Amino acid sequence: MIIGTAKESYRADEALLTTKPQRVWMAIFLAFLVIVPFSVNDYWLYMVCLMTINVVAATGLNILTGFTGQVSLGQAAFMAVGAYTVAWMERDLGTPFLVNLVGAGLAAAALGIVVGIPSLRVKGLYLAIATIAASFILHFVFVHWESVTGGNTGINVAPARIPGMELTTYFQLYWVIMPVTIIMVVAAANIFRTRIGRAFIAIRDRDISAEVLGIPLLQYKLMSFAIASFYAGVAGGMWAYFFRVVTPESFPFMMSIFLLAAIIVGGMGTILGGVVGAVFMTITPELLRFVVEWVSPWVPNAGTLLSPVRTIVFGGLIIGFLVFEPQGLAEIIQRVRRFFRLWPFRT
Amino acid sequence: MFKTTRRTMMGLMAGAASLAIGVGAARAQDGDIVIGGSLPMTGVFGFAGVAVEAGMQDYIKIVNDQGGIGGRNLRLAYEDTAYKVDQSVAVFNKLTSQDEIHLYYGDSTGFAKTIAPELARSGEMIMGGASFASELNDPEAYPYIFMAGPDYSEMFGILLEYIAQETPGARLVLVNSDTEFGRDPIESTRAKAAELGLEIVEEIITAPGSVDVSTEVLKLRRARPDYTLFHGYVLSPLPEFMSQAKQLGLETKFMGTFWSMDSSLWEGVGEAADGFMGVMPYRYYYDDAENAPMMETIREMRPDYQATGYMQGFLSAMLMAESARRVLDNGEELNGKTLKAAMNTIEDFDTGGIMGVPISVPGNSVPVGRVYQFDASAGRMVAVSDWISLDKE
Repeated sequence: MIIGTAKESYRADEALLTTKPQRVWMAIFLAFLVIVPFSVNDYWLYMVCLMTINVVAATGLNILTGFTGQVSLGQAAFMAVGAYTVAWMERDLGTPFLVNLVGAGLAAAALGIVVGIPSLRVKGLYLAIATIAASFILHFVFVHWESVTGGNTGINVAPARIPGMELTTYFQLYWVIMPVTIIMVVAAANIFRTRIGRAFIAIRDRDISAEVLGIPLLQYKLMSFAIASFYAGVAGGMWAYFFRVVTPESFPFMMSIFLLAAIIVGGMGTILGGVVGAVFMTITPELLRFVVEWVSPWVPNAGTLLSPVRTIVFGGLIIGFLVFEPQGLAEIIQRVRRFFRLWPFRT
Repeated sequence: MFKTTRRTMMGLMAGAASLAIGVGAARAQDGDIVIGGSLPMTGVFGFAGVAVEAGMQDYIKIVNDQGGIGGRNLRLAYEDTAYKVDQSVAVFNKLTSQDEIHLYYGDSTGFAKTIAPELARSGEMIMGGASFASELNDPEAYPYIFMAGPDYSEMFGILLEYIAQETPGARLVLVNSDTEFGRDPIESTRAKAAELGLEIVEEIITAPGSVDVSTEVLKLRRARPDYTLFHGYVLSPLPEFMSQAKQLGLETKFMGTFWSMDSSLWEGVGEAADGFMGVMPYRYYYDDAENAPMMETIREMRPDYQATGYMQGFLSAMLMAESARRVLDNGEELNGKTLKAAMNTIEDFDTGGIMGVPISVPGNSVPVGRVYQFDASAGRMVAVSDWISLDKE
């Protein structure tokens, strides 16, 4: 039981992890992440990597939509920009993969700033439509700028390399994808300990007031777009190394909706929300696979009959969470934490 | 009450998760030869996945009823992918970590391209699938991939051969969807048309999912083609094209490729579908033919019409099984290299009438097909050409 968390300095007040149990659990979690690749098979490792890539993209979108209040349906297109940048740099420049990943982030960020310009005039649904338009324009570019993007056929991406080794297996890629993700998520959490992050939140809560308080909207909205796109770009870059082929159909518009759904289900405006949302959205359909498998001995032709059910159940789960937990999965985790704070004296 | 709900929900989730992991680990190994499958049972391509699965299962049953291959039964282990590449890869990883798999059926070009480096790296299996992408028909770049039919370029080759025979010097219009699938055969078709003395008078690219085709039909009217060749669609917007063209009194004949050739699809369209032609590598379910014992067997097993995907799955399983049989007969180990080598030894192979001529698999494809035409009054596809084999040099 924790009676209170006395903080004696501003530093302590601003810390990301404020209590001892939090630090302990985080340490356990990190240790768990180290053990994971040694203890699961390729399938689960694949899922973990895919999940992790989605976490980066969702966290980026969360910064933009959850924290800054700018609804974007263009996140997948920015991922595509990152993926294409990596594919192009890998093919034509042959630069090291970490450089390529940063390049992917920067290219997406640059484009994000351009796409973000309408946000100065339009908000909410209108902005969402503007970002959709941007993603269709980008799709057109991917298809028709053949010298760079390879047109409809796309680009086959050479594996990421470190001296003396090609990173081709999920085990190897995990050691790139997971650390990058941790760095990016921690960085995202840190943004909101700074003036920039607080400015984002102020803009979300009421942009006019924010401007009155001396926050230049132009600068900060575009900065938010740039950061979100940077995240998408890096996620897309890792995606490119992970799947090793990038085509215009790799990042369909549905993926933007998937990411938006992830942060809504997870909890908008909390870093944890983006993470658990992406995890939930990626892993649940897969877990439902096992449910289908489990009942298949009793249902003849289960694969054919139950596959559509899986989709419906997944949709139902999302709606269920939205109805019962509108604050998102992150709120459930917070509630569990609060519960144990007073446990066992009050249950 | 609210609290209980929440708790129950979390309990359920935890339960589901642990159950899932438990089941995943508890798959026993057996002596079966397992065919893995990333099949699109739902999503835009769901109709095909369901049919393919039925076809593969039926052929597997036939083989197993005859004692399997070298005493080992065949088994299909498959899961739904919703026709999404990331899910297809997930299924691939799931199945390969549960079973020893040397034969695989993949659902899309994107998946085939994505998994190709892994196939090359592991060298454990060969893979067929629903994609007939010309790019995959390259044994150098994709040594472990095969397709149970002609690739899209070859399908167009078959159509053009037919056209050149029927109407020498014909005027053609190509209508392709703006997707990888749609644009696939354009390049090669230009070359082939020039070679056969056919003239491509217009190339129309439609946006994916577009339904309003009136401007495209006007282009068609200006071009006055003898034949209009579609590729990159399943059904829509072909009926719209055809009915509008008929209203304008255009004389052009409409043609398509394998995935838009299912006769139940066209039966639903009705009168406007009459006269639609296209290339089909397999016999239709209802085709009466001599020397087609396999077609008889299929009709005995399934009293109702089976879609074209069924035949595709059936033949895919047949080629896989035949390759495995040849490898085991040679006393070799099943892996990508031996299976592909065995598959390439398939020469003048009798498919029991699934394809009307004995087939060979010289590279990654089976470049054989036939032109069929839809007869709306009978609700059936009727063969209008003989079997056309493209000689691949």
